[in-house]
Amino acid sequence: MNPTNGGWLILVTVLAALVLAVLHLPETWPQWLGWLRPDWVAMVIFFWVLSLPHRLGLVTAWLIGFLLDVLQADPLGLNGLLLAAITYIAWRFYERLRMYSIAQQCGVVFILVLGAACARLLVQDIIYSSGWSWVVLLPAFTSMLMWPFLFVLLDRLRAQARVE
Amino acid sequence: MQIKALFVRESGAGYLLTGLALVSLILVTLDTSTRLLESVRGAIGTLVSPLVVVAETPYLLGDTVGEVVASRESLRDTNAQLERRVLELSQISQQFLAMKKENERLRELLGSRARLPTEVLIAELIGVVPNPNTHQVIIDKGSDAGVLVGQAVIDAQGLFGQVVEVSQFTARVLLITDASHALPVQVNRNGVRSVAGGTGRRDELELENVPVTADIRPGDLIETSGLAGRFPVGYPVGYVASVEVADTSAYASISVRPTAHLDRSRHVLVLLDQPVPDSGAIDGSDDGFDTGVDESDAAGAQAQEDGA
Repeated sequence: MNPTNGGWLILVTVLAALVLAVLHLPETWPQWLGWLRPDWVAMVIFFWVLSLPHRLGLVTAWLIGFLLDVLQADPLGLNGLLLAAITYIAWRFYERLRMYSIAQQCGVVFILVLGAACARLLVQDIIYSSGWSWVVLLPAFTSMLMWPFLFVLLDRLRAQARVE
Repeated sequence: MQIKALFVRESGAGYLLTGLALVSLILVTLDTSTRLLESVRGAIGTLVSPLVVVAETPYLLGDTVGEVVASRESLRDTNAQLERRVLELSQISQQFLAMKKENERLRELLGSRARLPTEVLIAELIGVVPNPNTHQVIIDKGSDAGVLVGQAVIDAQGLFGQVVEVSQFTARVLLITDASHALPVQVNRNGVRSVAGGTGRRDELELENVPVTADIRPGDLIETSGLAGRFPVGYPVGYVASVEVADTSAYASISVRPTAHLDRSRHVLVLLDQPVPDSGAIDGSDDGFDTGVDESDAAGAQAQEDGA
C-alpha cells in the first residue's frame, strides 16, 4: 500500500516549490512585485526536515539547490549551499523547533529566508556590484506570512499520505 | 549509548556541511569567472526544462484560449492588417535584395568580408527568469536547433539580447537591459560610437562615457555598431529619450529607450550564422565592452564604410 513510504509526496512538493519559484507574473506588471515571492523551496525543505529529519538529507538538499541555480540564473552552487545550511539548522534543532509555537516558527523562517536572501544579494553584489537595498527583507516577510498556511497544508498531506 | 550515537552523527553532518559549502564556493567561483561549467548548466537546464514549461503553462494556455475564442470580426481585421503589412514588407524586401547584392559587390571590390547574417531561427519565449535583478528569458530552441552561446537575438522591433546558456531544447537569453550587459552601438544619424549599458530597468539603457560635446540628440536612433563581433552591425537598439548635461561632469547622461518589446514579445529571432569571435568567448555576459576596444581598429574601418 505504501511501498516508498510516501517518498513521492516529498518529491512532488519539492517539484511544486520549484515550479512556484519560476512561475512569473505578467511582464507588464511592476517589476518590484517580483521581490514579494516567498522562498518556497527553502520553506518546503525546512518543513520536511523538521517533521521527518531522517528522510531528506544534506546532499539531497544540496542537489535540489543546483536545479534552483539554473532556474533562477544564480551562480552554480549558491542555492545548494544555502539549502544545505537550512537543512543542517533544521536537522540540528528539530526537537526544539517542533516544540515552538507557530508564531515562533514564523520567526525562525523569517531569519532563515532573510539569511538566504542576504547571501544571494551579497554574491550578486560581488559579481555585478548591484548594491544593497531594503527589498531583501520582502521575501523574508512574505515567507513568514505564508509559513502557517504552508505548514498546515503540508502537514495534512503528510498525514494523509502517511509519509514516515 | 544513545547520546554517543547522536553525537557522532552530528559531528559527521557538520563535516559534511563544511565539505558541501567548500565545494559550493569553488563552484560559484568557477561559474562566475570561467566558462568551465557551461556544459553542466546546460545539462541541468535540460533536466529542469519541463518545470519551466509547467510554470509557463498559464500564459501558453491563455494564448491558445485567446486564439480560439477570438471573434470572427477581430480575426478578419487582424488578417487584413497582416496582409497590408506583408505587401509593405515585400515591397521593401524587393529593394533590399537588390541593395544587398550591390552591397556585396562593393564589399568584394573593397576586399572586406560581408557580415550580414542571413540565417535566422524563430523561437518562442517559454519562460522568464523571475529574479527582479536578472533580465533573462528562456526560449524554446536549444543546441538541437543549432543555437550557440553568444548568438544575438532580435524581435520584430529591434535588438533583444544574446544567448548566454544553451541546453538541449532550450536556451537562456540575457536581455540588453540587464545591469550586467553592455553592447557597442553607434548613432544612426552620424555614426558617433558609444557603449549602451543595461540599467536593470526594462525600459531604459544608458550610453556610457559620452563626452558632453558629442553630437547626440533626443530622438536619435541608436543601432548596433558590430564592433565587438558579437552583434551584427545595423540592428536598431533604441531611441535617445533624454540627454542631460551636468555642469560638474565631463560626461553626458544619455538615456535610451529600447525599440525591442522586451517585456511583451513572445516570438524572437536567433541570428544563427554570425561570427562568434574567440576573444569574445571568454566570459558570456558583458564582453561586448572589452572586446570592443581590442577590435575597434579592424572593425571600426568597416563600420565607417557602412556609415558612408
